[in-house]
Amino acid sequence: MALTQSRIHWTFRRLLRKFEPAFYISPAFIVLIVILLYPLGYALWLSFHTWTLRTFKQGIPFSDIQNYTQLFSNPDFLNSLRITLTFVILAISIELVLGMGLALLLNQDIKARGLMRALILIPMMCTNVVIGLMWRLLLNYQYGLVNYYLGQLGILPVEWLSSPQVAMWSVILVDVWNTTSFVALMLLAGLQSMPDEPFEAAKIDGASAFQTFTYLTLPFLKPIILVVLLWRFIDTFRIFDVIYLLTAGGPARVTETISIYVYRYGFQSFNLGVAAAASFIMMIIMLIFALLISRAIGKEE
Amino acid sequence: MQGKNYRLIKLVSKIIIYSLVILAVFLSLAPIVYLFITGFKEPDLTFAIPPVWKFTPTTQNYREVLTTTNFSKYFMNSVTIALITTGIAILLGSLAAYGFSRFRFRGKFWLKMSSLIPQMLPPIVLVVPLYVLFNRLDWIDTRQALVVSYLTFTIPLSIWMMTGFFDDVPIELEEAAMIDGCSRFGALFRVSLPLAVPGMAATAILAFIYCWNEFLYAVILTGRDARTLPVIITSFMTNKSILWGRIAASGSLVLIPVIIFALLAQRYLVRGLGKGAVKG
Repeated sequence: MALTQSRIHWTFRRLLRKFEPAFYISPAFIVLIVILLYPLGYALWLSFHTWTLRTFKQGIPFSDIQNYTQLFSNPDFLNSLRITLTFVILAISIELVLGMGLALLLNQDIKARGLMRALILIPMMCTNVVIGLMWRLLLNYQYGLVNYYLGQLGILPVEWLSSPQVAMWSVILVDVWNTTSFVALMLLAGLQSMPDEPFEAAKIDGASAFQTFTYLTLPFLKPIILVVLLWRFIDTFRIFDVIYLLTAGGPARVTETISIYVYRYGFQSFNLGVAAAASFIMMIIMLIFALLISRAIGKEE
Repeated sequence: MQGKNYRLIKLVSKIIIYSLVILAVFLSLAPIVYLFITGFKEPDLTFAIPPVWKFTPTTQNYREVLTTTNFSKYFMNSVTIALITTGIAILLGSLAAYGFSRFRFRGKFWLKMSSLIPQMLPPIVLVVPLYVLFNRLDWIDTRQALVVSYLTFTIPLSIWMMTGFFDDVPIELEEAAMIDGCSRFGALFRVSLPLAVPGMAATAILAFIYCWNEFLYAVILTGRDARTLPVIITSFMTNKSILWGRIAASGSLVLIPVIIFALLAQRYLVRGLGKGAVKG
């Protein structure tokens, strides 16, 4: 009797122990699922229906996969996909290179490093709306400070935001200004957590600075580079605020990323079915990329 | 001779390093400083070319911002929404992070990664269905609508960052407390939590800043009552003209708390964002 009781007690304890992590982890997950279930379900439903200002009063007709097929033959949508990928790849590459350079600089033996680090951090915290508008003023063709001071250096004024050839680079410039510090500070944290011994050994063996960097520093930094890549990918792929206020996707759609495209379809032409389908395609592309990066992170662990 | 050369090279490289670092700091701060200065300029000086750097500062733009827009009400909206969201996110996020940091179980890595999915979802995907949902609940233009929307990215953020900070607290401390008769919950509250407080503060600050800066949900889901400050800034762009003086003044007012917070927490912010993933 006493034995069975203690056995029941023991089984119960074991069960409890097994589910103990769930006790801590599930509240957050439950809240997220409750919040997201309806919106995601509804967006999925919308993407298979024709919801326009004309249809929504008389019941919304089911349209099968028409929204999706339509999108893949829509030049504007394909354009926005291309624009987004261009932006993601260019912005992240420039940020990684500049960020690495800045991190290596800050890793030198310099005075007031803490202060420098703190000041450099400020752009990444700024409100996107303010960043977009501030740069719109700075890059103004006639009155902007950038063109004025370039003029002082003898450089002709540039149509930063209104020329189709330049606008994408301006958007990238602003994003680089905004987030290079994030990349640099993450990499700096990685640099500072590296062990000294292999570097001393390399020095004794007469390795050049370049060799040390490619064969020691980079492999050591790989996990943190992947994390930076994941965060930057998430943020650049869905960028909206800054572009919306800087160029609103123009001129001639050269800066119309998917988020801007969906916004235009959803809130200007109120074609919610198509907007939902486009945003689902966007989400799937994003999750695939994020999954690939996460897998690489997982392998590092 | 050799030594002299070496010292010269060292000096030159030092000068190059310092000037590059100072250049980076200058480029980071100059646009923001320009924004602050523009806020104190008379509107007709804003576009003066060549730019005017010496002028009598005026508070005209600030006065106009504060009097014409009911600024204090929207300021309170921003503060309340960000505070409530941050509170809930830190509570739930820390609990989950503790679970991820202290237990080993199958599928842990992928469960942790999947907690980032809501953060990855582009707001543009969620904003239409959220609008429909809140419309049914009669929550359009209320603060709770924004709190619920903001939880979708603040909870993942706090799970991610807090996991890293709990990993920093040695598990041995907790085990010692449990041997001394503490329950695990007791060990969490008496041992680990106090040690994780700086990290928690940094996480809270980051979550607060994310909510404070958010624009898309705020502009779609609110009307006159629950508006937040980023939306107010854009209200100075009218069809006829862009009131740059007021944009600069209101923009400065929005940025000041962000900059103060960022400077307070900078040391922990970077560590927290990086640690979450590098350690399992």
